[in-house]
Amino acid sequence: MTTADLRPRPPVQRPPRPPRRPASWHLRANVVVLAWLALTVAAALARGALPAPRWLLIHLFLLGAVTNAVVTWSEHFANTLLRLPSPPRWWPPARLGALNAGAAAVLGGTVGGLPPLAVAGAAVVVLVVAWHCGRLTVGARRALGGRFSHVRDWYVCAGAALVVGGTLGGLMVSERAPQAWHPRLEAAHLHANLFGWVGLTVLGTLFTLWPTVLRTRIDEGTGPLARRSLRLAAPGLALAVGGLLGGARWIAAAGLLLYAAAALTALTPFLRTARRRRPHTAASWTLAAGTAWFVVALAAASVVVATRPVDEVAGALEPTVPLVAAGFAGHVLVGSLIFLLPVVLGGGPAALKRNAALLERGWALRLAGTTVAVPLTALPVPAWAVHAAWALVLAALGSFVAVAAFAVARSRGLRLSPPAAGALTGALLTALAVAVAVSGDPAPATRSVAGGGVQTVDVTLSGMRIRPSVIEAAPGTRLVLRVTNADAQRHDLRLATGERTPLLRAGQTATLRLPPLTGSIEGWCTVAGHRAAGMTMTIKVAGTDPATGRAVHSEAHSGAASPAPLDLAAPPLPGTGPADAALEPAPGGAEHRLQIRATEAELQVAPGVRQRMWTFGGTVPGPVLRGKVGDVFTITFVNDAAMGHGIDVHAGSLAPDRPMRTIQPGERLTYRFKAERAGAWLYHCSTAPMMQHIANGMYGAVIIDPPDLPRADREYLLVQGELYLGRPGEAGQVAKMREGRPDAWMFNGMAAGYDHAPLTARVGERVRIWVVAAGPSSGTSFHIVGAQFDTVYKEGAYLLRRGDPGGAQALDLAAAQGGFVETVFPEAGRYPFVDHDMRHGEAGAHGFFEVRR
Amino acid sequence: MTWWSVVRFLHVTSAALWVGGQLTVSLVVLPLARRLLDPRQRGRVLREVGRRFGAFTGLVFLPVQLSTGVAIAWHKGVTPSSLAQPGYGRILAAKLLLFCAVMAAAALHGRANGRGRPAFARAMAITSLVGSVGIVLLATALPPT
Repeated sequence: MTTADLRPRPPVQRPPRPPRRPASWHLRANVVVLAWLALTVAAALARGALPAPRWLLIHLFLLGAVTNAVVTWSEHFANTLLRLPSPPRWWPPARLGALNAGAAAVLGGTVGGLPPLAVAGAAVVVLVVAWHCGRLTVGARRALGGRFSHVRDWYVCAGAALVVGGTLGGLMVSERAPQAWHPRLEAAHLHANLFGWVGLTVLGTLFTLWPTVLRTRIDEGTGPLARRSLRLAAPGLALAVGGLLGGARWIAAAGLLLYAAAALTALTPFLRTARRRRPHTAASWTLAAGTAWFVVALAAASVVVATRPVDEVAGALEPTVPLVAAGFAGHVLVGSLIFLLPVVLGGGPAALKRNAALLERGWALRLAGTTVAVPLTALPVPAWAVHAAWALVLAALGSFVAVAAFAVARSRGLRLSPPAAGALTGALLTALAVAVAVSGDPAPATRSVAGGGVQTVDVTLSGMRIRPSVIEAAPGTRLVLRVTNADAQRHDLRLATGERTPLLRAGQTATLRLPPLTGSIEGWCTVAGHRAAGMTMTIKVAGTDPATGRAVHSEAHSGAASPAPLDLAAPPLPGTGPADAALEPAPGGAEHRLQIRATEAELQVAPGVRQRMWTFGGTVPGPVLRGKVGDVFTITFVNDAAMGHGIDVHAGSLAPDRPMRTIQPGERLTYRFKAERAGAWLYHCSTAPMMQHIANGMYGAVIIDPPDLPRADREYLLVQGELYLGRPGEAGQVAKMREGRPDAWMFNGMAAGYDHAPLTARVGERVRIWVVAAGPSSGTSFHIVGAQFDTVYKEGAYLLRRGDPGGAQALDLAAAQGGFVETVFPEAGRYPFVDHDMRHGEAGAHGFFEVRR
Repeated sequence: MTWWSVVRFLHVTSAALWVGGQLTVSLVVLPLARRLLDPRQRGRVLREVGRRFGAFTGLVFLPVQLSTGVAIAWHKGVTPSSLAQPGYGRILAAKLLLFCAVMAAAALHGRANGRGRPAFARAMAITSLVGSVGIVLLATALPPT
């Protein structure tokens, strides 16, 4: 079966002779067009849930539906009008499959972030169209010329335009072209495809289709006029596309003007025919509307190209793309299908009439709706009007697709049983409602604020979301948040740094002024349950950190819930780990001299987690000082860090004024004290706010042995401290300190460090464990699972001595207290040691003793 | 437990009766009627079932559902503009649209039955049933507030 029966009856003549049988592959090609249209409607409804919704929508329609229709119908018209030999049997289905596979690859590759797939798809589409053009050229040369040979030339030029436009599109989705080229590539792509591929095809087809639809004869002189106008239109378009690519605005404008003149010339038979015989059917009115939108789109493009620099053309035309797609391409496509689909469906005069009546049902309403709605989609009208306009356009398109699908199904003998039809209708209605329900707000989730100074950002609370959910600003920016509750219920916004709005009623607005931005800040709605439901936001620091010169893209760590809980079972990084817990005996001599330098260091603070810490001597905790009662310690404290620090050693008693003063970067001081009393003492940074300095790692231990301290087989020192993730000093981290919500607890500077590097002992050995609680806020209840302490020394006194009948299970220390315990492990095994305050023990204050025989 | 719980109770119970009633008629009553009753009896029973269910819909279900629904929406501070907002508003709007479609299908079902178009009536009954389940789906999707 060939397609020859589908002659659009160009020459003169009587009413059409109905085709004897529908061309089955041809029908399939039209079903494919309908399927792409249905996908377009579905994508429009699910817009919020799709990536790149606008691009996808435009390309589903133009690359999917319109391109399929153009290839199918241009081939068909060329075949029938020029009496080309029928294509080989394999060609139509192969072409159909390749073209659609290519289109699907372009869409999937672009939306799915696979540029090579998209490029391959574009190449396939271009090759199929090039092959199609080649076939038309070669075939037509063999065939007779005649009255309609111009049709082939229009189609070949249109195909050439797609080869150019599709190549440009492929270049853009390849992501290989420099970003700076994109505006020009896009402008050229847009003109080549819309005015070339679609425009030339439509103009070329209208010469014969329009009189056929109106059931009248073709105007005299149409052929020469068609040839003449194409001789202007093709070079005009080539000039326009070339000018846009090359950045030559006036060449582009002149080319477009030439093209416009040619197009208007080509439309003169259209007007003459319409004057002679008024449009009176659905197909003719819809086609007329599409043609009118073509003229409007052409005028808009000419004005933009003539008045804007080339690099701004694509951006300026962007709002008119829906107008061109829906107004021009949409009307022409639907108008053609109204006329051609009954012919394709066939089935005799009665069936033709029945199908035509079905497709035309409600056409006046549809056309009136789109005529009102299409301009609203491109005009600067309120958002609700734009939404309503799109709803109208989609309803018109959707209803046509539904009716056409029904006509196709009916003519194919497909009948649904009433329950199946009912279930299908119900399911479609439900799917539609769900699509409306989940359609999201296309407002950007991330708002980047350029420049410093004072910046105002509008924040909207609605639908259990805070928009934008991420604000990025340069360090030092003073943000002003204008917070509006656009929801039906009450919300507020509270920031981790303490700023908060009052509880806002629907429609109320409040303003939050933030201090200069230093670090990431989290925000949330405090109404019960709303934070858990997703009402959170983050203010991030973007740009460059002046202190380190590195690009900063800080993660937020703040508020009640840390974004990613620590994985304490993760494998630790090689290199740094918890400090060596083994404690050396006090060195001899009564005088100890040492230098301690305040520095910042990147340390492993939990398995696999490195963080910048403030330190004494590059480790957390700082160096251990050990001596006996009466020893004199002389510490030279040097500040090598970027901020002021000081030192406060609890083991000495002195007036804090001078030795504990804060010294600035590069300065040094001497701290001299005599250890008058025994104990396990803390030393820490003395600079305010001490909470931050201690929490970020500036602490250490001084061990002054009690007189007559018996020898132990092994001595260990564990300094327990809290861990706050985040950049030291950033607002979110400080907020966690204030609220007393550490991310973890550490022994000797690493959470769960001794889980991975256990302390060792042997059965029967006396093991002494010194413990100091550095805080800054929480103490410890030190316990060894499976062991009992026979000696407990806390804060300068023995609570329990070897030989006492009693035993001890835990050494309790408040922040900044210290002491030791002794135990003898009874048998070999793995003994966990923990802070028995289980909040701490299960969040990092945990390790193992590996006891061997 | 406030008076609003009572309002919500009425709303949910009435919806359960309506959706459940349709399911029961479709899945329990109709198959049994087809199997056990002769055509004359069956026609009469089904007509009476339809009439009674229609009366329940018009006299109980719709008044209760509309009044309690409007009251709950008022209580939650729903406004016409908030219906367009993504989230609660938009889900509620979709639910209302689907409710209107289901009511239309139910009305078409009744009319088709009256005019002796059983096939279309049956299709509309199933449409109404499937749509009703869809309304329940959307109702469960409304975020708690």
